[in-house]
Amino acid sequence: MTEDHRITLQGESIAVSPGETILDAAARAGVEIPTLCHDPRLEPAGACRTCLVEIDGWRRLAPACATVAHPGMIVTTENARIDRHRRSLLALYATDHPADRAASEMGAPDQLLAMTERYDAPTDWGTMPPCREGRPDDRNPYIHYEPDTCILCARCTRYCAEVEGVSAITLAGRGSQTTISTVDRLSLLDTTCELCGGCVDVCPTGAMTEKLPLVREQKPERELEKIRTTCNYCGVGCQLDLNVDPEANDGRGAVVKVTSPEPGTTTNDGNLCVKGRFAYDFIDHPDRLTVPLIRGADGALHEASWDDALEAAARGLLGVKARHGPDALGFVSSSRCTVEENYLVQKLARAVFGTNNVHQCAAT
Amino acid sequence: MAGLVTTFGAGAMTNSIGEIRDADFLFVIGSNTSEAHPIIAMEMKRAVRRGATLVVADPRAIWMTTIAAKHLQLRPGTDVWLLNALAHVIVTEGLMDQRFIDEHTDGFDAVARTLAAYPPEEAERVTGVPAEDIRWVARRYARTERAGIYYTLGITEHSHGTDNVYCLSNLVLMTGHLGTPSAGMNPLRGQNNVQGANDAGASPVFFPGYQRVDDDEVRRKYEHAWGTSLPSEPGLNLNVMMKRVGRQIRGLFVMGEDIVISEPNVLRLEQALNENEFLIVQDAFATTTMQFADVVLPAAVFAEKEGVFTNSERRVQRVRKAVEPPGHARPDWRILIDLARTCGADWRYAEPADIYDELARHAPRFAGIAHARIDQEVHDGMTGIQWPCGDASDPGTKFLHEGGILRGKGLFQPVEYRPSQELPDETYGLVLSTGRTLYHYNAATQTRRERGLVAKQPEAFVEIHPRDAQRRGVSDGDLVEIQTRRGSIRTRAILSRQVRLGCIWTPLHFAEARANVLTNDVGDPITDTAEYKVCAAEVIRVAEGSETELFPGSYYRA
Repeated sequence: MTEDHRITLQGESIAVSPGETILDAAARAGVEIPTLCHDPRLEPAGACRTCLVEIDGWRRLAPACATVAHPGMIVTTENARIDRHRRSLLALYATDHPADRAASEMGAPDQLLAMTERYDAPTDWGTMPPCREGRPDDRNPYIHYEPDTCILCARCTRYCAEVEGVSAITLAGRGSQTTISTVDRLSLLDTTCELCGGCVDVCPTGAMTEKLPLVREQKPERELEKIRTTCNYCGVGCQLDLNVDPEANDGRGAVVKVTSPEPGTTTNDGNLCVKGRFAYDFIDHPDRLTVPLIRGADGALHEASWDDALEAAARGLLGVKARHGPDALGFVSSSRCTVEENYLVQKLARAVFGTNNVHQCAAT
Repeated sequence: MAGLVTTFGAGAMTNSIGEIRDADFLFVIGSNTSEAHPIIAMEMKRAVRRGATLVVADPRAIWMTTIAAKHLQLRPGTDVWLLNALAHVIVTEGLMDQRFIDEHTDGFDAVARTLAAYPPEEAERVTGVPAEDIRWVARRYARTERAGIYYTLGITEHSHGTDNVYCLSNLVLMTGHLGTPSAGMNPLRGQNNVQGANDAGASPVFFPGYQRVDDDEVRRKYEHAWGTSLPSEPGLNLNVMMKRVGRQIRGLFVMGEDIVISEPNVLRLEQALNENEFLIVQDAFATTTMQFADVVLPAAVFAEKEGVFTNSERRVQRVRKAVEPPGHARPDWRILIDLARTCGADWRYAEPADIYDELARHAPRFAGIAHARIDQEVHDGMTGIQWPCGDASDPGTKFLHEGGILRGKGLFQPVEYRPSQELPDETYGLVLSTGRTLYHYNAATQTRRERGLVAKQPEAFVEIHPRDAQRRGVSDGDLVEIQTRRGSIRTRAILSRQVRLGCIWTPLHFAEARANVLTNDVGDPITDTAEYKVCAAEVIRVAEGSETELFPGSYYRA
């Protein structure tokens, strides 16, 4: 950024990097420009037209997300003309969108509705008849497409092509019947889709949404508690938000959804894979062990109290040590458990039992 | 891990995941990245979209090869030949970074002498990779500044796994692709906390922070800290421990692993467990190993406890409790404290943060890291702190070896090719490799309890080349038996040109078709990591397959 690389934004002179868009420059300068189809991980599309700004000497308004900030530009982000455009645009979107928040927010929060309210756009311009086709018979268990809520910003299809790189979903049809679909309207299970759920995550209106929360009729996302944690599958260490209904399971709480953090704030840049986003039902699975067990004289495992089980465990390990020495014991630690737990296992082996026979399960 | 500690002085990704997108050359070897590390694969896809050159070396035509500039489809187990030939080209064509070699490394001359015997034409004969491709890749890799190597278990799970790592280190050292952004040597870790478990000293050789147990000074430090005398001889590593169960090993404590699914040659292990005197299994789920247990302790899962995991790029990140564990299940850390106390030890920790503080106090690499810092601080726009982190004001380390290699000088290691321990013969005519798929995870304790994953991939399978299948009278979808010297399993055949002629591949996730009944437990001479990736096998048709499509839409179809 040099002195020659400056633009004037809402009357303020700001520095810009070569090739930077007006939207990115404004974000750095703390000037907010509303967007729906924009995502920092995707190539600019300029599809939704909510980010239109006025540039001195340009006859038409220009999309901030797709316009490079050339030195010397004088850019206006808020004035009567832009406001008039934005309110009209949002009013037009509203004719093609459920006005009822409950209907549109079965899944994720609806950014379009929020924007309509924020800019006080008219919502009485009538209603278009539903004209887009969905795929209600898609038997995939995770991802649902609600055509009536869609505004065709194509964030989902672009994410699928540009970030996940599988191009399973695409814009299909033409004119007012354009919709998000797959080749031959196949179920996602029969396409290249890897069920990463990125389409759900990037959707600004909740048209791409998770199936299970709909089926389970759970609370909308807005009413859930989000706990930021680290994914427990592979070694990338994706950050994710466990969405918890604290009243479920008689107050024990239940993880009912997983969402990803804002792009650019964590290692995973807002992305998750199928396991990270959807494979959490094991937490409440009936096959979980819930009671300590001790093998009895009859050869079967029997339920026991913690005190008895710990006593039996200690007696067993100390007995082997007494009979055969400390190095007759082996401790298998787990790369699935926390750093603290691995620390305690090696300390247990070394300091309590006197052996270095301790190794984690995935050492290579 | 041992290999990297020897050559560079730290066993971890040298660089960060976020740097991948800015790389200009990516050499991916022995890593099915889009299935085993999908999010890292997204970063690689982004680099390729930007114009980076991707080279994939793998016996299978994995998804990443569809966007690769070159696919080096080597014969399983011939990695040393391939990598030495790449180095041979770099040395004979004078593409080394001589200044880096002079200033930062030891032992180059010995390696250069060894490499003379590995010309690309000969490599083509052994590995099946065209000599011209080897030259092309070697030249590109050496001449590109932001050139990174990424590998996983396809490199390490061999009887010559450490040799493979040495060969890769040699490439990095001779080209000086170290200590700079978007380059280096990057092992991608398979489990959430492989790195953290190593870091924490769950190792027969190291106390926390890679401090050796046979270093008297280090041991005295821990004896003082823990108030007890400690053993000075390194212990048994996992593969050896498992082989000695029932003989030298008479009592086992197993936390969070289903050993009779995940360890190699499991039938022998099962017999040995019957001879074992005492087994504790501490797990969240009823596992197959539980049938041998004397005591079972029910544990919490990650969503039910506090702590940290350390990812592949050395980033220490928080695990936070979201819900209560079911029934009487307890977090592992709580159980371990209770067990130690029942054994007479006076352990006092109120919460995991106290445990971490004790770890950091005696391990210089983590000295500056604490739960509170991770909760509060953001560095470079990201949460989590990357070790090394020396004190509370240290923001952590994005990439290693900047301005000098951690161990002082990078150590070249000459490596001669040794064939895999068990190669095909008249009885067992195929090479079997095992691995992971996108939709399941390890013993699939979690993922097979998840509807979508099961819908995508309901059952075990073996990929076999159509010509190998034809010779054995096997059609697509047939039920077949895979046999090795150690055992046999039944599974579904998928005819696929993704595997090389003469090679078969099966996933490790399925309890009813345990791949590790088949695998060879012969270990690498240094790490004893088992040879999961190469053994001799045969396939026999058992019955005709049903008409149902097994994996509709999968790119694995022939």
